[in-house]
Amino acid sequence: MAQVMFSSWGRTVIDNRAGGDVKDASFRLPVAFDGARPLNAFMGWDGIILFDKGVDIPIMAAEYMTRIQTQYCCGKCTPGKKGTRVLMDALNGIVDGRGSERDLQLCEEMFELLQNCKCTLCQSSTIPIFDAVTHFRDDFLAYINGTKKRPAELPYRFIEKYTAPCQDKCPSHIDIPAYIEAIKEYRFDLSLQTIRENMPLPSVCGRVCPHPCETACRRKNVDEPISIMLLKRSASDHEWQRNHLPPMQPKPRKGKSIAVVGAGPAGLAAAYYLALEGYPVAIYEALPKGYGGGMIAVGIPAYRQPRALLQRDIDIICSMGVEIIYDCRIGKDLTLAQLKTKHDAVLLAPGAHRSKPMGVEGEDKGYKGFLTGGIDFLREAYLGLPTGMGKKVCVVGGGNTAIDCVRVALREGAEVSTLLYRRSRKEMPADIWEIDGADEEGVSFEFQVLPTRIIVDADNQITGVECVRMAMGEPDASGRRRPEPMPGSEFVVECDTVIPAIGQDPDLSFIPMESGIDITKWNTVVTKYLPLKDAAGKDLKDGMGNPLCRTLITDLDGVFASGDAEIGPLTVVACIGNAHRAANVIGRWLEEGKVYLTDDEIIEDILTYLGVYDKNEQVPWLDSAEREEQKEVHGKQRAAYKNYNEVELGFTEEQAVREAERCLRCYRVAMAAV
Amino acid sequence: MVTLSIDGRAVSVPKGSTILDAAKVLGIHIPTLCWLEKVSPTGACRVCVVDVEGVARPMTACNTPVKEGIKVTSTNAKLEAIRKQVMELMLVNHPLDCPVCDAAGECDLQDSCYEFGVTKPEFHAALNRKQIRYDWPLLESDPNRCILCEKCVKVDHEILRSDVIEVVARGEESIIDTHDGKTLNCDFCGNCVGACPVGALIDKPFKFRGRPWTYTVTRSTCGYCPVGCEIDYHARNGRVDRVTASDATYCNGNLCINGRYGFAYINSPRRLTTPLVGQKTADWTQALTHAGSRLKELVAANGPDAVAGLSSPRLTNEEQFLFQKLFRNALGSNNIDSEARFGYAQAQAVIGSALGGSGATNGMDRIDSAAAVLVIGSNLNAEATGYEYRVIKAATKNNAKLVLANVADVKLKKIAHGQLKYRPGSETFLLNGIAKLILDAGLEDKTAVAGIAGFGAYQAELAKLTLDKVVAATGVTAAALSNSAALLGGKPSAAVIFGAELMRSGAPGAVEAVVNLALLVGAVGKEQGGLFPLHEKVNIQGLLDMGVAPNLLPGGKSAGIDGRDLWQIIEGIEQGKVKGLYLVGVDPLTSFPEGGRIRKALEKLELLIVQELFPTPTADLAHVVLPASSSAEKSGSFTSIDGRLQPVVKALASPGDAREDWDILTELTNRITGKSMVSTPVQLLAEIRVVIPGYGESTVAPKGGCSFAVAPAADTPVAADLTLLVGPILFHNGATSTWSENNREVAPVPYVEIQKSDAGKLGIADGGAIRLTSVAGCLTGIAKVTERLQPGLLFAPNHFPEFPVSCLLKGNGVYVEVKVEKG
Repeated sequence: MAQVMFSSWGRTVIDNRAGGDVKDASFRLPVAFDGARPLNAFMGWDGIILFDKGVDIPIMAAEYMTRIQTQYCCGKCTPGKKGTRVLMDALNGIVDGRGSERDLQLCEEMFELLQNCKCTLCQSSTIPIFDAVTHFRDDFLAYINGTKKRPAELPYRFIEKYTAPCQDKCPSHIDIPAYIEAIKEYRFDLSLQTIRENMPLPSVCGRVCPHPCETACRRKNVDEPISIMLLKRSASDHEWQRNHLPPMQPKPRKGKSIAVVGAGPAGLAAAYYLALEGYPVAIYEALPKGYGGGMIAVGIPAYRQPRALLQRDIDIICSMGVEIIYDCRIGKDLTLAQLKTKHDAVLLAPGAHRSKPMGVEGEDKGYKGFLTGGIDFLREAYLGLPTGMGKKVCVVGGGNTAIDCVRVALREGAEVSTLLYRRSRKEMPADIWEIDGADEEGVSFEFQVLPTRIIVDADNQITGVECVRMAMGEPDASGRRRPEPMPGSEFVVECDTVIPAIGQDPDLSFIPMESGIDITKWNTVVTKYLPLKDAAGKDLKDGMGNPLCRTLITDLDGVFASGDAEIGPLTVVACIGNAHRAANVIGRWLEEGKVYLTDDEIIEDILTYLGVYDKNEQVPWLDSAEREEQKEVHGKQRAAYKNYNEVELGFTEEQAVREAERCLRCYRVAMAAV
Repeated sequence: MVTLSIDGRAVSVPKGSTILDAAKVLGIHIPTLCWLEKVSPTGACRVCVVDVEGVARPMTACNTPVKEGIKVTSTNAKLEAIRKQVMELMLVNHPLDCPVCDAAGECDLQDSCYEFGVTKPEFHAALNRKQIRYDWPLLESDPNRCILCEKCVKVDHEILRSDVIEVVARGEESIIDTHDGKTLNCDFCGNCVGACPVGALIDKPFKFRGRPWTYTVTRSTCGYCPVGCEIDYHARNGRVDRVTASDATYCNGNLCINGRYGFAYINSPRRLTTPLVGQKTADWTQALTHAGSRLKELVAANGPDAVAGLSSPRLTNEEQFLFQKLFRNALGSNNIDSEARFGYAQAQAVIGSALGGSGATNGMDRIDSAAAVLVIGSNLNAEATGYEYRVIKAATKNNAKLVLANVADVKLKKIAHGQLKYRPGSETFLLNGIAKLILDAGLEDKTAVAGIAGFGAYQAELAKLTLDKVVAATGVTAAALSNSAALLGGKPSAAVIFGAELMRSGAPGAVEAVVNLALLVGAVGKEQGGLFPLHEKVNIQGLLDMGVAPNLLPGGKSAGIDGRDLWQIIEGIEQGKVKGLYLVGVDPLTSFPEGGRIRKALEKLELLIVQELFPTPTADLAHVVLPASSSAEKSGSFTSIDGRLQPVVKALASPGDAREDWDILTELTNRITGKSMVSTPVQLLAEIRVVIPGYGESTVAPKGGCSFAVAPAADTPVAADLTLLVGPILFHNGATSTWSENNREVAPVPYVEIQKSDAGKLGIADGGAIRLTSVAGCLTGIAKVTERLQPGLLFAPNHFPEFPVSCLLKGNGVYVEVKVEKG
């Protein structure tokens, strides 16, 4: 087990350098950076962690400050621009034998003065420097006294990463502070340019993203988080509202081509980034022309995501050199083997479109009015096909798809639209604003109920659902209370239609057994990963329980996987981040014949594992600017028959700038000695 | 309102105000360096730090909004120490070239160091010297002196929307530079220089010219366009060495290239400095006596119809007043006119009969917060840049929807929500088409139109129009028209701005249509928005107000018997009826249509008196040349299009024997009348106010009794194969600026823009010779191939005396059918 020699991380000092009574500390960091090269030391906004005494802290501090000043400091405030330069020169002066003790004092003064920086980048960079000169003073003095000289070569390398809590939390790792700052400066164009570096569907993720970034916004520690998602919408709306053409230009066309299975968020995103690199990309999409977008198109109703804007994002991707072949289902119209022959690489991104059964008596009997699933209902409504829906609709489930179903049911002419959920309102996984939206439109809710039986008449036409009320049971072994049926509480909800919206699975039947591609028990595609382990020898996993650093290549050479079918059903933004990574890996595989992750990608994953946002941090700031609220269409009329007009109207640009002004620009840099 | 206290003193300020705003209300000084009121706060310098009770770090006053009940401390020992140390950091690597720095004496960095007692460098870093950009025209950038306050970048982006400079590179290397590192290619307004608090961005024409404090600074009004920017002339030793503008003025110190750098014509060695009689040097007595007696003789022999005069919109109100008095009272002739005859005067007549007034219906600043803006038939960037700044502000900071209707792409395109690129001549169809769609969608301002006469007739007229016909005539898609109708209609206020390309389009009923559309969307008679007719030159409105027109007396009263208008004067000369012509600041051979015809006419005159600044082609034909004064060399007033009476204040003496126009006019009148009238600009304004009570004492009054204009029927325009548009470009104004070496540095030579596909078809290369032939004449110039224009359209700037392209025009129009060949 790796012993921590020294740590000031989290502002708690552990010092085991002198030996003796060794204090234990563990951090969410891998023992070896990439599973092979040991992680010797780590330095960043929250202090220093030293695993290997051999790491020269004065050299590391000088290098850290040099990188801050020359690569990351934006120069846009005096203390940051000049202060980090003064620090960089002082620290390098010390290790080059030109330093004095005055320079150490200077480091302490700068630590104080740089508290007044405009943002946290330069300010936070003084923290490890302050820790270094405080706790490693003798090492600096050795250089100052001339007893130590800067070594010609170091037995380790430094790898740094520039991030921010929101950026880290965003699965696509959009440079959020940069795009917000651009809006603050009325540069909506530059803002969108920044967004597109990691997000090729800005109109979508400016509207329907569950915005995990906002849960890691440091402004939350002051008052309320920045409206990060809506600012993305503002940047994206600005472009089409002012009739601007997107500025991206793909690199010169390359020879090797890539097939992508599925024109969903993952497929589109991977295609976009590969096309920008110059690769010809063909996306094979099972649905007909005009229905690209995968789950965004068939799963997110138009009142949340206007179709013209989704199509605009798709058209832009196509204009980069991506061809979408519609009406082509892999496994039926073409086989995977055929794709492999036609193209140099294949990316599987079929999504998760198969509804899960809800496990209620009668669901498999083919009753009239029992629909296959929420996602099928939404798809058929969107495609303009008969949905089989009647006038009184019951939707079972608690996620966003369930909410979409009850709201779409109203727009498809349902007189009564009811949602049945087995837990309470506040436990619903659906986004709260979606639940409120359904409420406003007149959806009725039955919380803490479990459907037990489908009731039908003589014609096998559904007439109701029998439900039982649920109550929280005794805590189980894990301490969690589970809802349990209350005996005798059975009742019937009258309805003619039941839509189960319990969740979706990928349909991977198109992948033949003999292909060698392995599939997990959750019906996702297995991809390769780096063997990162923690000090206890446990594999590092990401938030979904998948291995942390995945290369996204399947067991079959040249075939990669991405999106819901690789991760498990998740979010648009997660699929896009995952697909962007896949595109990078595919590019390397095509050019170099090797599958690997760059140091930058590895440290990105490591930081996400470590955590960049600290919800307990005291952020001193005046809470005088409230979060801006967008305009919204109100009233039941917005859910009238076939009214799919957008409900949320976004910010005015004036509001967007004001909201952007609230951003604290929480940049920070971590650096590992490997 | 939010109540807070600063240093123990309570103050209430509107929600959204900053701590700095609140401190200003209390008169508490919080130092700033990067803060600039007219742009968004930057928070770069960090010297405005203040303490807020309960907040564990100092907050910057410039960008921290106030909160109810907060207690702010503006200064204490800790804050002073921070400010001082921050200033010390700012001086790291700052060159100590103050003795030769242009900004010395007016440098905020110097002042702040002094204020905070920063007397020696406390912090050090390795010396870092960045390259000075000597290669930019008109501006020089020394990044070593830059404190990265970003004022220049913000002015460039937020006010100009030019987006040419930005912060590039990282850390200590970060500098302000062009985004692509290439040489500066922008509007050259120099507003970034105006905003620069130090000597990082400087005016090249001013470099090493003199120390700022040695100049006499005179606040006056820019003599170029009708925006009427207040400017400060810095004059010394008989020269103007620079022009600046204060942010505290009506135009917020936002000038254009003409305002800031166009002063160089004043110092031109080509200025006329002595009178000429028979093209020979004469003294004033000889010249005035000759001119006066010849005029008198012509009237005596042939009656007052034998003499005529044309005045320039560059003359002051007082001079215009004297000019018409000279003709009407001394010579008994109403034969006076000006370039307003090409369209502005007729447009005012339409506005007058529909809205009961003349000029804009509201102050220019009311564009700022209009909810919708329509700009039609004007490249605002060139015609009246100050209006463009207002539109930019409305459409980018205040949520206005902007519809741009032009025949070519112009700068505003990048911020417009709707763009209608229409065919020349289809203006009436376009405007009526939008109006029809607004009515169809029920988006008209119902309250406003209810009380306006003629609405029914207007509706009936629009009902006859079909959308198909509009699409066919304008070449604009139905979708774009509907989109524009939706953007303009149903808004609480609207601004409608139109220029010479509409007034001089030749389309019957175009001005009526724009007035009617303005009434329909409720642009007239509200606090915000308005109707704004534009013209390229400064005092066009004053010229008309003063009665420089054959049919109007000062104040717009009827002249009773109309004199000859501009074209009738030309005809009169051709017929031998008009024998004497007095041109004040007018060079028809450079700026008027039908140049060949006019030259012949001028050559026929028995007496041609030219009062001018420069040896123009027209002056070369004159029997008497009277050297006059630039607007920096005289006093008086201009009237902006929106009715602001702007003082013109003499900043320096005229060169040589040149005299102020009002002085010449007074003297000449005395020679004719034999009286010895004494007039000064002050007396003249008083006299004007007797004739027009209250003139210029209040800004545009709301006009009552509106009615929809009855428009002549519009014909479907017949598209010519190739049409030439003649108009202004940003880098010049009239012909005056072509005598300014500064403007010539950026726009040195005339050219003819031709659309790429047309150029291809005709085998004309970029930079190659191009020959234009119209019904009025032919001219060979240099081609500039562009994609800005629509196919079939060419454009040539109207400024250059050496390329008098206006002479190819026919009648009042700015468009003319041309034959185009490789030159």
